[in-house]
Amino acid sequence: MLSPEVKKEIQQVMKKYPDSRSALVPALYIAQREVGWLPPEVQDEVAALFEIEPAEVHAVAGFYNMLYKDPHGKYHLEVCTNVGCKLRGSDKIVDHLKFKLGIDFGETTTDGMFTLDHAECMGACSTGPVMSVRPVHHELGKYYENLTPERVDQIIETLRDDGFPASLERDPAGPPPHGGMAEPVLLARVDKPDSHKIDTYLADGGYAALRKAVGMGADAVLQEVKASGIRGRGGAGFPAGVKWSFLPKGVYPRYLVCNADESEPGTFKDRLLMEYDPHQVIEGVIIASFACEVKHAFIYIRGEYGFAYQRLVQAVDEAYQHGFLGKNILGSGYDLELTVHRGAGAYICGEETALLTSLEGKRGHPRLKPPFPAVEGLYSKPTVINNVETLSNVPHIIARGADWYKTFGTEKSTGFRLFSLSGQVKKPGVYELPHGTTLRTLIYEYGGGTVDDKPIKGIVPGGLSMPILPADKLDTPLDFESVQAAGSMLGSAGVIVFTEDMPIVSLAKRTVAFYRDESCGKCSPCREGGGWLEKILERIEAGGGRPEDLDEMMRISKFIEEQTFCPFGPASVWGLQSAIRLYRDEFLAYIKKTNPEGKAPQVPVRPIFRPDVGKPAHPRD
Amino acid sequence: MADMVKFTIDGKEVEAPAGELLVDAAKRIGINIPVFCSHPKLDPLGACRMCLVEVEGRRGRQLVTSCTTPVSEGLVVYYDSERARAARAGTLELLLINHPLDCPICDKGGECPLQDQAMEHGNGESHFVEEKHHKNKRYPISDWIMLDQERCVVCWRCIRYLDEWEDKPQLGLYHRGGETVIDIAPGHPLDAKTSGNIVEMCPVGALTSRVSRFSYRPWELSHTDSLCTHCALGCNVRVDTRLNQVKRLLARENPAVNDQWLCDKGRFAFGYMQHESRLTQPLLRKNGTLQPASWEEALDAVTAKLVEASKQPQRVAAIGSAKVSNEANYLLQKFFRQYVHSNNIDFRHGSDIATAGRGIPSIAEFEKADLFVLFGVDMAENIPVLDLFLKRAVNRRHAKVLLINSRRVEDSRYGTLLQPAPGEEVLLLNGLSAALLKDEAIAKRAGRLSGYKAWLADMVSEPTAKLNLSESDFGGAVAMLRRAQRPLFLYGEAVAGGKSGAANVTALTNLALLLGAVDRVGYLPYDANAQGARDMGVLPDRLPGQIVLSDASAVSRLQRQWGGTVPAEPGLTYLGMLQAAAQGELDFLYVMGSDPAAEGMSEALQKVGFLVVSDLFLTETAKLADVVLPAADYVESDGTFTNLERRVQRAPKAVRAPGRAAPDWLILTHLAQRWPVVEEIKDPKRKKRGHGRTPNIWSYASPQDVLQEIARVVPMYAGLTWDALGDAGQQWPAEALPLRPRLQSVTLPTLSRRSFTHWLIAERVLYDAGQLFATTEQGHNLIMAPAVHINSHDLATASLAVGQEIQVTSPHGSVRLPLLVDENVSPGTLFVPLGLAGAPAEQLLDGQYGPVPARIEAVA
Repeated sequence: MLSPEVKKEIQQVMKKYPDSRSALVPALYIAQREVGWLPPEVQDEVAALFEIEPAEVHAVAGFYNMLYKDPHGKYHLEVCTNVGCKLRGSDKIVDHLKFKLGIDFGETTTDGMFTLDHAECMGACSTGPVMSVRPVHHELGKYYENLTPERVDQIIETLRDDGFPASLERDPAGPPPHGGMAEPVLLARVDKPDSHKIDTYLADGGYAALRKAVGMGADAVLQEVKASGIRGRGGAGFPAGVKWSFLPKGVYPRYLVCNADESEPGTFKDRLLMEYDPHQVIEGVIIASFACEVKHAFIYIRGEYGFAYQRLVQAVDEAYQHGFLGKNILGSGYDLELTVHRGAGAYICGEETALLTSLEGKRGHPRLKPPFPAVEGLYSKPTVINNVETLSNVPHIIARGADWYKTFGTEKSTGFRLFSLSGQVKKPGVYELPHGTTLRTLIYEYGGGTVDDKPIKGIVPGGLSMPILPADKLDTPLDFESVQAAGSMLGSAGVIVFTEDMPIVSLAKRTVAFYRDESCGKCSPCREGGGWLEKILERIEAGGGRPEDLDEMMRISKFIEEQTFCPFGPASVWGLQSAIRLYRDEFLAYIKKTNPEGKAPQVPVRPIFRPDVGKPAHPRD
Repeated sequence: MADMVKFTIDGKEVEAPAGELLVDAAKRIGINIPVFCSHPKLDPLGACRMCLVEVEGRRGRQLVTSCTTPVSEGLVVYYDSERARAARAGTLELLLINHPLDCPICDKGGECPLQDQAMEHGNGESHFVEEKHHKNKRYPISDWIMLDQERCVVCWRCIRYLDEWEDKPQLGLYHRGGETVIDIAPGHPLDAKTSGNIVEMCPVGALTSRVSRFSYRPWELSHTDSLCTHCALGCNVRVDTRLNQVKRLLARENPAVNDQWLCDKGRFAFGYMQHESRLTQPLLRKNGTLQPASWEEALDAVTAKLVEASKQPQRVAAIGSAKVSNEANYLLQKFFRQYVHSNNIDFRHGSDIATAGRGIPSIAEFEKADLFVLFGVDMAENIPVLDLFLKRAVNRRHAKVLLINSRRVEDSRYGTLLQPAPGEEVLLLNGLSAALLKDEAIAKRAGRLSGYKAWLADMVSEPTAKLNLSESDFGGAVAMLRRAQRPLFLYGEAVAGGKSGAANVTALTNLALLLGAVDRVGYLPYDANAQGARDMGVLPDRLPGQIVLSDASAVSRLQRQWGGTVPAEPGLTYLGMLQAAAQGELDFLYVMGSDPAAEGMSEALQKVGFLVVSDLFLTETAKLADVVLPAADYVESDGTFTNLERRVQRAPKAVRAPGRAAPDWLILTHLAQRWPVVEEIKDPKRKKRGHGRTPNIWSYASPQDVLQEIARVVPMYAGLTWDALGDAGQQWPAEALPLRPRLQSVTLPTLSRRSFTHWLIAERVLYDAGQLFATTEQGHNLIMAPAVHINSHDLATASLAVGQEIQVTSPHGSVRLPLLVDENVSPGTLFVPLGLAGAPAEQLLDGQYGPVPARIEAVA
């Protein structure tokens, strides 16, 4: 089914990677663009091109949401229903779309124009509700943000009448609301016209830090970054310079991977950086690669970020043209290749080892640690993995020095941070503020307080996976240590605020549903436990709850928290655990109200008869 | 050995090699930490979380998986702590919530790790009050295996086995989270040839054997430690039986032979053992038809004819078998040598094969060799478990592979393939030798060889041009050989038989000699007891122990043992016998466990004066016989087999033979006891007939008695009693059969295609139409359909179409076959597998070894 041209295109992409298997997901994207989805025969053809077993391709295709295993309408509409968008009214948009198109999730309109699905967080929490539109014959989709039912009508009509727009830029166009320090550093350029172009960047003194770094030499760069104390912005907060120094001496090749798989619900700062200042992160990648003696670097960007991907690819091309990438960079004799690699819809690929497995063209399962990626990472070679924001800081640290950097923040949490503020606040957005700024300042000073000035019920301070903080923790300074002392974690600094308007049962169920959906399925507690928790919450919500379900969920979640393979496990239940801990009375009141007679659950005693299982072909079968 | 470290489990001090996994170290001191995903033969994964223990860490006690945690000095482990127990109970609880409650009808029930661990480590109650998750239940993922996704605990053992050992990841995980299932790609059932191992590794009843499903409860089975006899590797198996029926075969661990593995033919193709078409009583030809007879009648008829025929022993012959035990083969040759005075003794692929008679150096060599030179060997097809070890060597130790084969066999994906045209193998091997001799160190090591060198140089100028090989492939091959520290040279039947066999093997041996590796040249035979039949002296020019007839002291030793005399002249070879038969020169032929008629020899066999066949089935040969004797299979009698690395292993009786079938050793003993030895002794003319000694009277009461005699008679089997063989068998040292290695000039075999357009290649395949395989119903779809395989280039040249039926003609015969495009067949050659229905390849070969010239024509 694949034309010779498409096969050739796939073979070209295979050459971009040290191991051609890495091109599997890109190849499937190409095949999907051609066919509209990935019929088994097409997957078989891709397997033949890669000279691997068909099952290897099918297994990979089955892992990623953005690879279609069944036919879709001309446009794939995905509405985010995760907590961030939920708090901004996505349920209304969903109802409107379902009514307007006459279809439910997972269905296609009879005219074959639209397939509707719900999506997990798409990194637009401050501008939600958001819908991604992806024509099945395009690789990249476009985001429509700040949706209202009226805008949805308009979008649908425009797609029907005029087709897909030429530009992938955000709609409405331009960077999302942002602010913070009087003299922004990372966000200094995003409001400028053509902020994404290299000319703008160069006019601002861009790539001077690279020139300086090359002059300093690799080790001096590493020492400077180490001295700055900058800690990883992805979630774990590990000091970046220390991570670099873990690379074993004398083992080459080494790789660097920029983690642009921003997928922690409530986090949307990397997207802003990549869309409106891509050269800043690219310069960071180059300097870090230079410091770590890396010859091939990758930016692994989540598949949903079509516009950011487009801008990154353009910016990388520009950087090659200007000699900041490729052979003999700035006459230093240093060579670097940079490949932008798209994920395909899997939250777990933000976990660094899962990301590497995914980048190797496999299902995004986390790997055993140790060996840590610095020792055995991509293709079992020493690998540095840093977040977009972390690397974006690097040019500034080099340009202005570690001492300058340390004037911001606290002693252990140096520097400033991009806080993604979302939920029920008046002015959600990305705020660049020093570590140690309090929650109150962020929410009330920068965020303008809560919607309708309702009292805060709870705050998730570091992305959806972190435990909820109650309203009385508003004076907690936002640095790694203080948030931890308050009972949560700073994580990715995605701050989600919710007020009394948000029923806790619904919030807990949505949170658990997300992690159940995104579990990679590798280890038993997460794979089985997530589904169990969701079923209990569904039953409670539907009016079949029992008071003892709360302790039961605490008991089950403890298995997940303590026993899983990777940090996804604990992250998937902290939200629920903290919700039960903080809002037990609300749960109990809900149960009492919806199940006043205390009905016991109906346990199905035998499997449902399924006519799809036919008669056995062989008597023994 | 790694450094030893000391650590504690529950306060007990343990010593273990540093880096050993905790789960393994604990096992050695009797703590069986429960596992699902962990498996001693697979890389650690840490997915199931069943083996959680607490260890003392920097941040206090932490739960870790003992299957991924290496032990280190001072490690403090708590296995039996409350938290660790609760954690394991929690994992079990989670694994069970969606597990179906169909244990009463599950094949695994009774031997199920999930059941056992739920009993031992579970908390005994379920809190789960929701609906269980439904997935696909019981559907076939191959002709052999059923998958039940609901029973699966997603431990990945099956996936990892197929990936890490088979190197064919044909099973994958699909979807994710709670939806995660194991599955095949749609339309791509498993075809890995050792896939059945995943049934055995599965810790639950998710993967079950379609051959054995629902036919037993594990606790009712009796177990017999035995062997598989489908190929020459001699994999160790456990035969599970109930009520005198074989219910299943499982792999039995033997690190020296098959590790823990079994191929699918070995595991599943045992349907023949109890097939309804087994012979259950002797048959005697009366009035032109075979009719049931008593043993008395049958044996009397055989004895009468044979006594008569033995007056002209050169017109009497016996065909032994590489498929039956040492004891049967030994007695067969003894009977014909001692009583009939004939050396007309051989077996298919016996003396017609050029081999040093020592098989391969050892299976363990696969763990050491850094270069495998595979000459006319298709291990993936013919000896799948050994092929696993090759794959392992390549994938884990980065061993190199150099293949010399006219076909692109599956293992070609692991190395460089040189494809000489049939007849040009010697030229190629000599070319490689000549290229190596340019290396001074190699030339020096080879010693005095000016004559050889000059001869070689003369013979192989510009081999690449003559052979139509690319310089880079040839140069690459030379470089591989030169760099090899420990090469292993293996050759197969395909190149060792027939007219060019001796030249091929000599040329390969020369190459090995130049690299100082002559003791690492090995022959890979097909059949289970190919080595044993040789050792037992089922050869026209070799006595037991592979002793040559001219070895006077050995002959006299044997005569002392046996009594009587051993004929001095070499007898007819297998092909020689059949040629003699065709000429009407055989008055009597005894065929044991062999079927020459199926190989296009019917006409010749019809001309034999009196034909006796002992076999399991009414084979093509048996149909022509005058007397058919129903033989017992190897599972129906004690016996020993010698595998390709000269390991003598025992196969004890597991079930009774059907009807009145009897083991060959017993049939031969009865025949011998009917032999008129006593009359002979009394015969005053005895001395005149030149028989100096009196042949002993046979008095074997059991196969063990026969083995005892073998151990006395066959030097390399000295001391090998039934008990001494034990469960793992014993290997006789290759040095017991010394080589006299020297470089020999090799004459190029003169193969000519004459007016024919192609070469016909005929080799064995695993799933053929032979009775040993085709009687297992579940394997029917796998049997290779008769077809002639041809390269698309040749197809275009001949303007033929795919699927078209065509006429294939060789100098020996002509058959009609459908066409199959197969790019693995090189241009100018045709491939027709042996053993297919209707025996097309055999008809074209007429008993010859391939390749033979052939042509194809459209059927008008």
